[in-house]
Amino acid sequence: MDLLKSLRAVGQPLRRKEDERLITGRGRFTDDFSLPGQVWAAMVRSPHPHAKINGIDASAALAMPGVLGVFTGADALADGLGEIPHNPVPSTKFDVKLTGRGGTPVYLGEHYLLPIDRARYVGEAVAMVVAETRSRAYSAAEAVMVDFESLDWVASTLEAAAPDAPKLWDALPDNILVDATFGEVAGTDAAFKAAANIVSMTWVIGRVTGVPLEPRAALSWYDPETKRYTLYAGSGGAVRQKHELAAVIGVEPAAIRVISFDVGGNFGTRNRVYVEFGLVMWASKKLGRPVKFRADRSESFLTDYQGRDLVSEVSLALDRDGNFLALRADNLSNVGARCVSLSPLSKGSGLITGSYHIPLATLRSRATFSNTMPTQAYRSSGRPEVTFAIERLIDKAAREFGYDRLDLRRRNLVQPSQMPYRNAIGSLYDSGEYQKNMDRLLELGDWAGSAARRREAEARGKLFGLGFANYVESSIGNPKERADIIVHPGKGIEVVIGTQPSGQGHETSFAQVMADLLGVGFDEVTITLGDTDVVTAGGGTHSGRSMRHASTVMALAAEDLVNKAKGLAAEILDTGADQVTFGEGLFGVPGTNRTLGWQELAVTAAEKWPEGLRVRRDNEMHQPVFPNGACMCEIEIDPDTGGIDITRYVTIDDVGRCINPMIVHGQTHGGIAQGIGQALWESFTVDPDSGQPIAASLTDYGMPRFDNLPSFTCEIAEVHSPTNPFGVKAGGEGGTTPAPAVIMSAIEDALAPLGTIEIEMPATPLKIWNAIQTLRASTRAGAKTEVA
Amino acid sequence: MITVSMTVNGDAVSHEVADETLLVEYLRETLGLTGTHVGCDTSQCGCCTIHIDGISVKSCTVLAAQAEGHEVTTIEGLAKDGALHPVQEAFRECHGLQCGFCTPGQIMAGAELIRTWEGPLDEHQVREEMEGNLCRCTGYHNIVKAILKAHKDTRGSADA
Amino acid sequence: MYPFTYRRPTSVADAVKMFATSDDAAFLSGGHTLLPTLKARLAAPSDVIDLTALPELRGIEETANGLLIRGGTVHADVAASPLVRRKIPVLAGLAGSIGDRHVRHRGTLGGSVANNDPAADYPAAVLALNATVITDRRRIAAGEYFTGLFETCREPGEIVVAIEFPVPLSAGYAKFRNLASRYALAAAFVARTKAGVRVAVTGAYNKGVTRPTHFEQALDADFSAEALDTLDIDPNDMLSDAAATGAYRANLIKVLARRAVVRQGEVLIYK
Repeated sequence: MDLLKSLRAVGQPLRRKEDERLITGRGRFTDDFSLPGQVWAAMVRSPHPHAKINGIDASAALAMPGVLGVFTGADALADGLGEIPHNPVPSTKFDVKLTGRGGTPVYLGEHYLLPIDRARYVGEAVAMVVAETRSRAYSAAEAVMVDFESLDWVASTLEAAAPDAPKLWDALPDNILVDATFGEVAGTDAAFKAAANIVSMTWVIGRVTGVPLEPRAALSWYDPETKRYTLYAGSGGAVRQKHELAAVIGVEPAAIRVISFDVGGNFGTRNRVYVEFGLVMWASKKLGRPVKFRADRSESFLTDYQGRDLVSEVSLALDRDGNFLALRADNLSNVGARCVSLSPLSKGSGLITGSYHIPLATLRSRATFSNTMPTQAYRSSGRPEVTFAIERLIDKAAREFGYDRLDLRRRNLVQPSQMPYRNAIGSLYDSGEYQKNMDRLLELGDWAGSAARRREAEARGKLFGLGFANYVESSIGNPKERADIIVHPGKGIEVVIGTQPSGQGHETSFAQVMADLLGVGFDEVTITLGDTDVVTAGGGTHSGRSMRHASTVMALAAEDLVNKAKGLAAEILDTGADQVTFGEGLFGVPGTNRTLGWQELAVTAAEKWPEGLRVRRDNEMHQPVFPNGACMCEIEIDPDTGGIDITRYVTIDDVGRCINPMIVHGQTHGGIAQGIGQALWESFTVDPDSGQPIAASLTDYGMPRFDNLPSFTCEIAEVHSPTNPFGVKAGGEGGTTPAPAVIMSAIEDALAPLGTIEIEMPATPLKIWNAIQTLRASTRAGAKTEVA
Repeated sequence: MITVSMTVNGDAVSHEVADETLLVEYLRETLGLTGTHVGCDTSQCGCCTIHIDGISVKSCTVLAAQAEGHEVTTIEGLAKDGALHPVQEAFRECHGLQCGFCTPGQIMAGAELIRTWEGPLDEHQVREEMEGNLCRCTGYHNIVKAILKAHKDTRGSADA
Repeated sequence: MYPFTYRRPTSVADAVKMFATSDDAAFLSGGHTLLPTLKARLAAPSDVIDLTALPELRGIEETANGLLIRGGTVHADVAASPLVRRKIPVLAGLAGSIGDRHVRHRGTLGGSVANNDPAADYPAAVLALNATVITDRRRIAAGEYFTGLFETCREPGEIVVAIEFPVPLSAGYAKFRNLASRYALAAAFVARTKAGVRVAVTGAYNKGVTRPTHFEQALDADFSAEALDTLDIDPNDMLSDAAATGAYRANLIKVLARRAVVRQGEVLIYK
């Protein structure tokens, strides 16, 4: 594409436009908005993991001062409010097609704003109270008497999948909503039969929660004259939320305006509609007052859509030389009480062979309901789990069959000559130089020098661990995107686009792209996001889709705009449109020195056309891309306490073309932190005896912090993807993808002198210490030091 | 109800509020200074960090009444005469923020740290002293850089 | 929070009177225990009596018996005090390890000691140094003051106005922090006093801050890490939760006590 010829802003670490307001306290987060006369909503939440709702007595609450109403699921049904249409089954052309048993459609478990029959997890909202102040609303919520009848419950993933487990939905014979098998079963079985070596393992990747620092909030008001709702609600995609809420409320999408300006972190937690968004809309119409909701952190912990929770049984067949022959996997995903998104299971399914050429594979993908908060996509949805499964399995194979873990990987990596590479599940990796990544990573991280660092750490009484992991991950996402470009006379160029950043810097990086496409200065371009009265269409932000889709649709729109402008220039310059050239932001005619800039054309356009100089372009792209890379880390363990220090963490990430390296590095850092968090500190634990979440506050849920993380060394590799004009892959999630694997690989390495033992994440000091005690005891007992 | 009076960002303010009003609620809801944020309910996240008499505190864990007669500085009051504070500049320069929600608290914490810290300041010390501020976006790497840079910029040399 | 009446006394005596005339009052000092409790709606006092502005509750001075630190003194001031750093440096270091920087700007010695959180740091120092808890109405020896988890021998409305710390010959403090709350999973304060070695452990025992006297006896005979080699802590005496089992805490006590012995004069913080 011609317009990509002179890239000046693209590729530069330009400082962000967003920062001016964010560093001076002028951000516009949802709770920052208030409307005159607003009242507050509070939710009555189930204390039970599973219980029938026999009745709700609101009389005491209604008698309290300042209480304006108490609303139940029955009330909502009577008012015709519908289910939230989550559309959880990923359905782009290249998504792995999950089904129920025997190819049946996936049963989702309907999601009404408030349940009518039962509460299915601790924290589920069963009624809403609205009062004059937030404090009064929460006090009144405590006074609502719900007649709960406890039912048998199940929280653990494996237990929930058992045929005789307590059932969440009557429509199913059990809790299994997805059961589909992919790949070549017969060929895989034959390869396993003939294999010289087989290594197997079952991995448990537990439940975490996103903890975006901004608790979710919503403010709605209903204008009875225009019959429109205005909803302030930060999310992962205002356009999608508008359409879904329209279906819930039972109005046309045009009757709703959703405003999502600054969003305080998403990571997937905000990609789906929350019941409170629909509830405040409903209440605002009924009461004729603006209604506001803001979650406490404890509510966020209990009822933010959560992440991960996968049990993966994997087996790898190798020949005598260490070549990978075949892979078998059985992946069981715990979706929680209802199905809000199958993204983690689906995306993971497509990547079970990882960065390696494994000619044959079979995968059984299952999903189970359980009495827990529904899960959905969370930072690199599904990919850290399957990366963990394959990378840790390769570590085990190396150990069991006597290979060097790097050599075993290197010989099996997908080669550049094989690109685009179709893996055994059907995913088509677009591009990548995996061996080059590995080599560069080992150099960058001074792998060779680790032996000396090990000796030095051991001299200080520490156990030293060295971890390694390759990764490949996928970026698919909503296939549609729209861009409007408007050249404002006297004011610069505005781009309206339907992504929804929550820290990714779109106002900056997209401006870099458009500035170069149109040959103008970075400062002349502004990006408009987040208000559905202006942003008419768009796919939101998730799955690393934003820059790829945005840069592509912006490039197409820019082409349209240039062509339109050429026509206008031709008139002004009194020549044919095909005579007009465009370059360096100027339109001209060869052989003359007359040129016209965007501003002049905009002024002329304003006189000619009521809409001025602008274009709108839609684009649809289904082809996924596959960011990839490699990662190493070094850790020190204090054997007396199990305490762990990360002393080195190095990554190489192929993000395709990198638009703003400063922003991409920032994404990598944050992604690394979340991956390490899952490996070492984070677990949304449910007590097995009571079904109660026991890590539902920052007092119990361990987080990455300033003082438990090191600084990182990160390098970007750019292998342009052939699938889109800018060659973009994605840079938002590669930090997380290998992190759990690389940390656990290092811990295994650190404990290797004592033996081998599986530690389930998070590998807290308690667990590491317990592991050390077990290994020492079995050594003393003379047992073989491999503890299953 | 009680009357609270204090100075906020140089301005004298006085309002009648409910006794149990937290300082962060007074700032956000009565004074409309929404730059200070609430991120948790266990006094751990630090998003609400401001200065009372120049010292960093978590405004979610102080009653408005306790700030009676004191000088409160919020993120909105950090820049002087249109000039950004060195910590603010450093955050932009070093990409020390992404979503921006924890940022006001980080900047207020960082500003107080570098103003009061005696002697050289290194990465380890920044990481220890900033423990009370959580960030979910940045992985802390660039915030550390920003604070060290601001310290260096304000002290004139690395080992001031 | 549930609504309450805020009251600001002009003196300690005034505060005591206010307490007596309230239905159900709570004292507010640093606020970093009380206010989170109220925000979580775990308590609903009718009155909150604010001690933070009372000058008679601030200050650090040297006395014939050691160091007197008034109850309203914030942790950051104890940590930075030249007097404390000179006379009992490990006490200054302990104060500087409480919570985080912003917490230390508000949290107070009196509040911490009055509350006796089983995982708080100050109770270990008070007990190990054999300090005296001075209230508005009496002086209480450390050994009598702490009576259980969150329990002290204070009467309702009794205010901790100061703690008097004898100066030890040497001291050391080692703690292992809960990776989420950052409170002590276990911590050992080891002091050599004129009356012998005193060890106080916080965070770990199921009856609150405790002196493992068998450790003290062994260290009296031989002040070395090896002296503790053959001694054990009973895991059944320990708190046990998701973050740390009884066995793990028992192990930590031994490890931390050893390290505090070997590195007297230092505050060692692990996580």
